[in-house]
Amino acid sequence: MLNTFLKGEAGTRLRFSGMLLSAILVLLSVFTLSQKGLNFGLDFTGGYLTEFTTSQGVELKQLEQFITKNHNGEFELTAQGNNHFQLREAPSGSTANSNDWQSAITQNADINAEVLSSAYIGSQVGDELFEQGCLALFSAMIAVMLYLAVRFEWRLAVGSVVALVHDLLLVLGLFSLLSIEFNLTVLASLLAIIGYSLNDSIIVGDRVRELLRVKSNNALSPASIINSAIKSTLTRTLITSGTTLATVASVWLLAGAPLQGFAIALFTGIVVGTFSSICIAATLPELLGLSAKNYEEKQDAETQALLDMP
Amino acid sequence: MLSVKKDQKPFMAKFKLSYIAMLIVLILLAISALPNLYPNKSWLHVNSAPHSETQAVPSTQALVTFLNNQGLDVEQGLDKQSTINILLNEPTKSAQAQAVIKAQYPNTQVKIVEHATSPIWLQEFGLSPIKLGLDLNGGVLFVLDVDLDKAIDEQLASAYQQAKSIIIKQKAHGLKAQQTGHGFEINALPNAVQKLTPVIDELQSRFANLAVTTTNNGNVKNAKFSYSEQGRSNFDKKVMSQTLTTLRSRIEELGITEAVTQRQGTQRIRIELPGVQDPTEAKRIIGATASLGFYQLKEIGGQTFNMQSGGTINLDPVPIFTGEHINNANIGRDDWGKPLVQLSLDGQGGDAMSAFSKANIGKPMATVYSEYSQNAKGETVKKSEVINVANIAQHLSSHFSITNMKSQQAAADLALLLRAGSLTAPVTIVHEQTIGPSLGQENITNGLAALMLGMGITLAFMAMWYRRLGLIANVALLLNLTSLVGLMSLLPGVVLTLPGIAGLVLTIGMAVDTNVIIFERIKEERRKGRSAYQAIQEGYKQAANTIFDANITTMITALILYGIGYGPVKGFAITLALGLITSVFTGVYVSKVLSQTLYLKLAKKAGVNAHA
Repeated sequence: MLNTFLKGEAGTRLRFSGMLLSAILVLLSVFTLSQKGLNFGLDFTGGYLTEFTTSQGVELKQLEQFITKNHNGEFELTAQGNNHFQLREAPSGSTANSNDWQSAITQNADINAEVLSSAYIGSQVGDELFEQGCLALFSAMIAVMLYLAVRFEWRLAVGSVVALVHDLLLVLGLFSLLSIEFNLTVLASLLAIIGYSLNDSIIVGDRVRELLRVKSNNALSPASIINSAIKSTLTRTLITSGTTLATVASVWLLAGAPLQGFAIALFTGIVVGTFSSICIAATLPELLGLSAKNYEEKQDAETQALLDMP
Repeated sequence: MLSVKKDQKPFMAKFKLSYIAMLIVLILLAISALPNLYPNKSWLHVNSAPHSETQAVPSTQALVTFLNNQGLDVEQGLDKQSTINILLNEPTKSAQAQAVIKAQYPNTQVKIVEHATSPIWLQEFGLSPIKLGLDLNGGVLFVLDVDLDKAIDEQLASAYQQAKSIIIKQKAHGLKAQQTGHGFEINALPNAVQKLTPVIDELQSRFANLAVTTTNNGNVKNAKFSYSEQGRSNFDKKVMSQTLTTLRSRIEELGITEAVTQRQGTQRIRIELPGVQDPTEAKRIIGATASLGFYQLKEIGGQTFNMQSGGTINLDPVPIFTGEHINNANIGRDDWGKPLVQLSLDGQGGDAMSAFSKANIGKPMATVYSEYSQNAKGETVKKSEVINVANIAQHLSSHFSITNMKSQQAAADLALLLRAGSLTAPVTIVHEQTIGPSLGQENITNGLAALMLGMGITLAFMAMWYRRLGLIANVALLLNLTSLVGLMSLLPGVVLTLPGIAGLVLTIGMAVDTNVIIFERIKEERRKGRSAYQAIQEGYKQAANTIFDANITTMITALILYGIGYGPVKGFAITLALGLITSVFTGVYVSKVLSQTLYLKLAKKAGVNAHA
């Protein structure tokens, strides 16, 4: 059904309305990001983080009151489900008082907590990490854009990179909207999204290039070439995205709390990445004036070079 | 027929050669992956502490009974020469057992050591399972910040002090050393200008990276001392490598095996201590900056030091020798039962001590204990204290003791630090993390479950969607996983972390992409009316470019991630990058051979020439 849609005018209309939707979503993401910001995790803010389990079910409020008694600084206690709790303290708090409450909850018979892990990160480390992360994101984007501009036509490269920025913004927007913790593994997943989002865009772009180079297609409009490129890669895009989504979903379901943010980011990234590879990466070059002529000249030069060779 | 054979022979030969090479690579990687089926087990090694006075190790039987009574069931207890090896029923409780044994038998040393359980022949090949990161293994992580600025300030301050004493020693009247904002300077009056050069030479021989700029300021010649950019970076490099060496030997002294110590960025050091559960002891020793120096007393001039017992004393700023010339240090007790540290010096230190004590019998010598600590403002300050002043009673050689230690613990720590070497720059812990062994185990189980589920779904889908070709894709996928695990076990420095497992799962999901692209192409070619064999040939050829482009871009991001990230993120990047390599290898090359063989055979069976 989708195939018949994509074949003719309807396909083009679908792509453009998809692009409009993307634009709206990007605006919404930018809005939430500027209003709410991101919920940065310990990796970036610095501070103390202690994870512990209790042997019996304890109410969060009750536990909070108990710890307040044994803690003279500020802290933030969150329940992770399954008698599993997380306690965060600001980086300036001294270690001495954090030990007080720890021994209190491990020795109290009603709570009988077991400390699973504890972490301390200095605040300056967090700032550096954030800078490094941004640097990684930008350098990855620039490196990839350069590669694409060399391998493909610049219009296709721009299309792929805009699609990529769109994917990253939507994922960040979702994290901001739902206040999901943004930590180091989420940052890693953003970089992985760069790879996967481009993967989809490249497959479509590759096919567009191939069809444009075929001489008999010269009479066709760029729009219909793009439509048929999308059509012929659609099965592949859906299968690959499907299997990848299935594996990411299994990480989400089974790998537990430490990888939850990572899985959510990748899942959203792959969904919007598949969407943007069709609606942005393939559509934008058309708006930028992609036509078979872009390849004709190039090919002519190449053939000329080949002919010139002794 | 003949002509066909002629055409086919070189093709078949080429085909076979690449086929054999491929098979060899696959088999080698599969063998490397094998040890992962036999995970390492943590054993406890108990022996007497090497630097204690008494040798008191309980019998194996007593130790096993003791642990069983503590609720830590022993699976196996072996007596190996002077070491008792113990395997617990629940190896995750090894750290707990270690603490219990240490409390009960204070004069023992307990180490947690990983034992391989794979067959001997695999171990003989040097093959071992993938190293697990802290988040899977449990343990303690420290990231230390090395205060290089402070170290260079100290160095300049010391150079200034020495400049003053050189001027006095060389009787260079008319020279005056003065501290400035970025170092110090020496001003020479017109009648003392010729005395400046020997002083500068002497200073530069002691401080190799110190740069000098001389200017004439009217009649006064002025020499400014500071660190040039080049000298600064040499100094930083030296300090960092020295700090790394010292930290490594300290960790060794603590009895922690398999620790990972590496530089992170310009002035950070990352220390991973697998199996350690109580960070307090490690923290006390690793972060300690205590150092020792031996000084001559000065009646006039010199540098003023505080005495531990109160009051001040003036000492020659140039030490007779420092802690770095100490070869070995043990704790002991003096005649009154007070703790002391027995030292033995290396050749250079021994010579210095011998020469000095011979010339100064009956004169006092001071022992200075220095340590960096944080003041109320959170700044790092160096605190130096004279812990004892003793008259040199006789000609000392390379063996002597330091008395007047505060406590047994202080003596033991000082002995350890002297053995391991002291830090030239103060370090602060900027990141500390403890991961319990049960959490690590949970992470492994969860990660593997996710891997199984993700792989199951993918395999089932491919088999249903592509039927026979899907089977090839599935074989390629399984080979991909084996190769990836094999490659990760083979390469040194690859550590599997929880995000790494996620990378593994993702690789599985993405690896089918290669096959899907190819198979869709093959289907297209078939629709164009090509024969099965030709369609396969064309499909692989056409898809190769696309696959190359798609994987190169992901590779670029993986490499950038590897270069910039560290810890768990690095683990993810490694898995991602290696996964790309193996998935192209199995997805393109191996599955091509597989599908060609499959269709060639089928075609032959059907009695049709494949090339027709």
